[in-house]
Amino acid sequence: MHTCPPPIDELNKWLDEYPTINGNYGHLLLEQKSESNSSLLDALRQYFESAHLDAREYFGATIGIDLHPDAEDEDDSTDARYPNCLPVTARRGLFGEVMTGLITESYKFVGDHNWVIPVFLFRNHYDVEKYLFDLARDSTQTRTVFGRLGSDFIGLSLGEDGSVVRIIVGEAKWRQRLIPSVIDDLLLGERNKKHVRSGGIWHNVNKDTKIPHGIRQLQRLLQECDPDGFSATILSMDKALLLRDSAPILRTDLVLIVGNDVPSRKKAYSLIPWEEIPPEYTAGNDLQVVEVILNDGEELIDAIYDSLWTEGDHNASE
Amino acid sequence: MLPNDIERLEVANEIRSSLANKDILTPVQARSFVRCLQTTWEVPTIRWGDNESLRQLDDARRLIHSAGIFRQIEGGSSTNALLCYRRAAELLEWLVRSNDLLRSTVPIELFAAGAYQLGGLPAMASSLLAQAEFRDNGSQLYASFLRADFDGVIRSVTAFWKVHPELRDHNATGRLLVDKDGDNISWYITVELVRSVGLIADSLRRGDDQRLERALAKLDALDRLTVRTFSDDTSMLIALLCGAAKEFRESSIYRPIFQLAQFSPSHRDRLYTFARGQFSRRRGILWSSQRQGLTKLLHESSFALCTPTGSGKTLVANLALVKELLLWEGEGPAPLALYIVPSRALAGEVEAKLSSELGEDLIITGLYGGTDWGVTDYWMTADRPTVLIATVEKADALMRFIGPVLALRLRLLIIDEAHQVVPEDSKNTLNAFADHTNRSIKLESLVSRLLMQSPTIARIALTAVAGGASSPVAKWIVGRDDAEAVETSDRSTRQLVGMLEASSTSGRILLDLMNGQPLAVLGRVEPVYIPLGAPVMPQLPPSMRNSIYCFTQLHVLWTALHLVNDNRRILISVVQQPEQTMGWYKKALEQDEWQDIVLFELPQEEGRLARFMETRAVCIDYCGTDSNEVFLLDRGIASNHGQMPQRLRRLMTSLIDSRICPITVATSTLTEGVNLPFDLIFLTSLKRRSFDPATGRVINSRLNISEFNNLAGRAGRPGYTKGMEGMTLVAVPQRPSSTAPVTIQTQQGQIREMQRDYANLMSELQVQEIEREDVSSPLALLMKAIAERVRDVFGFEGEDFLDWLEATTPVEISEDAGTGQGSDDARFADSVDELDSILLNALEEVSRVETRALDGADAEVFLTAVWQRTFTHVAAVQESWLEQAFIRRGRAVIEVIYPDADERKRLYQYGFSPCIGRRFERVVPDIRLRIGTAVAYGTMSTSERLAIFKSLGDIVSADRGFGFRVRATETDQNLLSNWPNVLTWWMKGEDVQGPVPSKLRFWQRFVVENLEFRLGVAIGAVVAYAWSEGAVDPSGVPSLVAWRETTGLPWFGFWVRELLRWGTLDPFVAFVLAQGMAHTRSEAAERRPEFEAWLISSYEAPEADDLIDPRLFLEWQRGLEQRAGLEAVYGPIEAELAGTTGQRGCYNVIPVKDESNVSWIDASGYELARSKVQTGQLGNREFRDDFELHVENGAVIVQQTSVEY
Repeated sequence: MHTCPPPIDELNKWLDEYPTINGNYGHLLLEQKSESNSSLLDALRQYFESAHLDAREYFGATIGIDLHPDAEDEDDSTDARYPNCLPVTARRGLFGEVMTGLITESYKFVGDHNWVIPVFLFRNHYDVEKYLFDLARDSTQTRTVFGRLGSDFIGLSLGEDGSVVRIIVGEAKWRQRLIPSVIDDLLLGERNKKHVRSGGIWHNVNKDTKIPHGIRQLQRLLQECDPDGFSATILSMDKALLLRDSAPILRTDLVLIVGNDVPSRKKAYSLIPWEEIPPEYTAGNDLQVVEVILNDGEELIDAIYDSLWTEGDHNASE
Repeated sequence: MLPNDIERLEVANEIRSSLANKDILTPVQARSFVRCLQTTWEVPTIRWGDNESLRQLDDARRLIHSAGIFRQIEGGSSTNALLCYRRAAELLEWLVRSNDLLRSTVPIELFAAGAYQLGGLPAMASSLLAQAEFRDNGSQLYASFLRADFDGVIRSVTAFWKVHPELRDHNATGRLLVDKDGDNISWYITVELVRSVGLIADSLRRGDDQRLERALAKLDALDRLTVRTFSDDTSMLIALLCGAAKEFRESSIYRPIFQLAQFSPSHRDRLYTFARGQFSRRRGILWSSQRQGLTKLLHESSFALCTPTGSGKTLVANLALVKELLLWEGEGPAPLALYIVPSRALAGEVEAKLSSELGEDLIITGLYGGTDWGVTDYWMTADRPTVLIATVEKADALMRFIGPVLALRLRLLIIDEAHQVVPEDSKNTLNAFADHTNRSIKLESLVSRLLMQSPTIARIALTAVAGGASSPVAKWIVGRDDAEAVETSDRSTRQLVGMLEASSTSGRILLDLMNGQPLAVLGRVEPVYIPLGAPVMPQLPPSMRNSIYCFTQLHVLWTALHLVNDNRRILISVVQQPEQTMGWYKKALEQDEWQDIVLFELPQEEGRLARFMETRAVCIDYCGTDSNEVFLLDRGIASNHGQMPQRLRRLMTSLIDSRICPITVATSTLTEGVNLPFDLIFLTSLKRRSFDPATGRVINSRLNISEFNNLAGRAGRPGYTKGMEGMTLVAVPQRPSSTAPVTIQTQQGQIREMQRDYANLMSELQVQEIEREDVSSPLALLMKAIAERVRDVFGFEGEDFLDWLEATTPVEISEDAGTGQGSDDARFADSVDELDSILLNALEEVSRVETRALDGADAEVFLTAVWQRTFTHVAAVQESWLEQAFIRRGRAVIEVIYPDADERKRLYQYGFSPCIGRRFERVVPDIRLRIGTAVAYGTMSTSERLAIFKSLGDIVSADRGFGFRVRATETDQNLLSNWPNVLTWWMKGEDVQGPVPSKLRFWQRFVVENLEFRLGVAIGAVVAYAWSEGAVDPSGVPSLVAWRETTGLPWFGFWVRELLRWGTLDPFVAFVLAQGMAHTRSEAAERRPEFEAWLISSYEAPEADDLIDPRLFLEWQRGLEQRAGLEAVYGPIEAELAGTTGQRGCYNVIPVKDESNVSWIDASGYELARSKVQTGQLGNREFRDDFELHVENGAVIVQQTSVEY
């Protein structure tokens, strides 16, 4: 379970915040104001370890079973550990997801709900269907992607009885240089050969189902990790997933973009309009947009991921 | 339970009750099912939108989710979970089979198969995936796994490791994880999934629990990891793979096999091979019915297994044979099992199946009727465990003939279709008692006597759930009042029953029942229907359309011809007069409009073509060139009915079984318990008309439920048919086909009647599955009928009735007793004679064991014990007078009716009911004389030989008790008066005018019933008696060597029944046909010079009887036999280690072939050794066979173990 509280003081020292909330639209611009020092790094390390702890345990359990016939039960033929072993691009993706959780837990969003993230899902392995179905790594075939990748991030707002009353569903994107054309590609989709845009965050969010894909998985994790403590949460998820006429779980959409600043951007200048809800967004839920503008993003990511569990496999929240 | 579990269950229940009601479909589900059936049958489909598909997929997901809740809270065996998984699987299956576009974005067939596995219906998973085509290697691998095709899994993973040599070393995983290129985690998980799935498959089929557990742990870990890291659908697929793998572990045949091995450690290896062989046959994963049966088998020696047709009962029977015979370690003669089957055809099928699995360990022999023994009965003298497969009649004859030997060796009794002990409570049954032809009472009598004689033998009753008889059958067979049957209702295919609307417009199908329950649509009154969209049948000529029956049958043919394709097989089942149907079909197919719709082409493949041509040749041999049978066969329509000569029937069956003929026209005798691959069965009528000569009235009798069930159970056998369901459709005309006003009126009445019959059938089918305690029982039915008759005629009841019973002989009741007369009195007398027959048989067998004549008091004691073992004793509502009547009549048999002990012994030996036997005895000397004087039969001319048969026929032809008997119709009466003509035609005596096509079946029936059966039985009784009389030791075993000396008869006596059976005068022809050395009678005759040349060169001056000496035939045949190509035995292959130190000494490996090298890998993909091999050194079964790497004292070899098919 993810149990580490967000290091709010460190965040405040590190980032300037520019929040606005207009009706059902919230916008939060966060600008890096200071160097990423060791105390920040240490705080982030603990938070990131907590976020990754669950996946790390299960990854470790998988690696720990060596199927070679000579292997003994305790054999572990590799030193690789999750998420340290991930390639650079994957780390960037995961960073965005954890940042989404961190910001969600730390700042006030539209609607002022109390968000919890009991456990992080890290579902950013976009090539998996290709590998799994083609059984080849360098397949030149293009195939329709089986399945529903779903959103990058899910947080919950629980009622007094523990049932889910609202969910926050996030799209988290890391980009190296946050310039307007990059933002347009992200939000509106990239252009094809005929210069027509397709896909994009708005498109994906607009067409998403009321109950996001991933709730079933999150529910399974809660059952594995703490079925007693989350009993009411689990029940309310059953209702949401199964009953067509159940009381709907309200939803907040979250779009978080994190990346490095560019000289052309002025201070306190947001890349996504903050005054009014962007017209491309038509899903009709509460919408929260977060822009995190960093100066040394890549170095920070590497520093965080290189530091994870360097002090041993302890529970990060302790 | 957790705090909210009750509410979670409520939520799940809401889904189950709204979407997964056992036999109720929601309207949209019904539409989806119809769309699927229409797509399957290639007829235009209903309108259907993409949103409906999405909704069905969503419902399936919700059902799988609900199933998960039920399993978590109610436990792994939750019935609610099963229902949810099953319906989810169905919804997905229907989408898949409708070629829904969703297939391209969601792996719905894999989801469906996984849900079927978790829903406990593995056969459905397998059937569905067998039809699906997969474009990518991954889907192919997961599909093989989900259908438990482990050889297929090994094939897939081997291909994977072949192209990924870089992943075969032990460090490959580590390298993958430190590789920072691209998405290494996805690739890592993919590789590990292939490792796990491959290792699970290989460990399952080898029974290697240790490796299996490790691979399962890995898959489980991957499942937990992917739920965190992959998309919802992908993680669901892996969860299903993981769930299925755990089911496989629980259902592996190794589990019961290893338990069995604990009883008999010395047979562990053989048991292991048996289990491995089951995996090789794709039967290693047990169905739930089999698991239950085997659990029972492990703990008890006797039980009844009541599961529907096609639920894998045979495997339970096989393992019972293994347990009781193969694991036998006792002293004394080798053990024997008697396997009682309902028909001769089934004896053949069971024999073939058992031989292929256990033929190397046990002698397995099918006995096909008759009272004596034949050339194949070598088992009697062999000191090896033996399985005898016989009909009740044959088993009964065996008891008479070699009862003491049987009693000495018998250790296991298996009764297939044991519910047949329950008679239909009808007038027909009573008539059959009087005719001594009722099978229920024969079965009851035989089994009761066997149990009396050998009370400690193991007994297993196999039965389809029918008539609620499972409970009494279990009590009877186990012999305990508290015994209950092992029951499941799971079927391996979906069974649909409905109606084909036959009308002059395009037809449609109405589906009324699914798996025995009404197929209802929520909130709708009308049944589910499928428009067929076939072209309208051209108007028939008046002579045909004026018969509504003719019209209906032709409509069925027309529909069938439009529904067949390369993969589909259709049976048109007729209740009677198949010759009329065949005649109509021929006439229709000769019409111009029908020419273009027959698309049958001769099979391309050589073996199949040869089989077709052989059948055609035999068809011409036995039916004639102009026969309807040959005409239809040339158009791909096989035919089959009970009167067809056995040889032709078997060939026709083989054509059907190998799916060469797309359409079959047959009576129900084809399908009595035999598995044949039909997707669709049409029934052309539900009524049988017969003529009662006694009253001169036509009797209409409806098809009984068990007959219908048996037929319907044949539709859609798993692994055979293309579809996943078997459909049985009753053709019912909708409006008159005639255009003549008078005929229209008649037809309207007939149509109403047929519709009524259909409605009655549907309602009867629905109530049949209700458990009943008051099933009818043969002896009770017989004795009650006798008692009622005594009351009506003489006014005796109670004690008076019993007094009457003690004193009255059948002949005193009617002078016509035992003469086959149809009058009420004669039947009454014959019914009493039937009872006497049962009593006399039981008493004679007891006296044989006791080796003394019994007196009345002895009889009472023994009959009390026999009564305790009858089905009637457990099934009938206890009426004490029944037992009293049984015992007191038994005493009377000894003291009053047949007081001469020697006579009783003879009557018992003849095998007829005693009253008939007494009359038969008068002709015994005559028959014996004629056989005895045929010493020169071997050199006689055709006409001399025929004359002997005629003289034998003369002796019995006039007697209606033991002799020829026909129906009172003009055709049959003519045949009876001209029987020598039929005999000559049948035996190929001289050139005589055979029957015209429309009369062929009447001739065939005369042959089967009178020449083959009645004349054969009479002669067989004399020959068997001659043996018993001549045999010094009553428990001696008959042998060919001693036959002539013991019986005092020439070899003609040995052959006479075989000659009647094969329709030849030449014993050599009968021998060659019986041994399968020739196809037709003329082909067999052509081989005689070959034999005679051998005889002359081997023996000096052979005598006439030498020319037909079966020992010489066998000697000649043995000389001809050349050992068929020896199965390749692969020697050890030298190897050098790679990737292992060899520390474990022995490793399971599979070969990955590269040009001249073989890499020996563990099933998880790790390379362990390499060899240089030559082409062909591994054979072509490397995915099926097992290989083991042995490392010992520095030597490294790989040993191949061939796995039996």
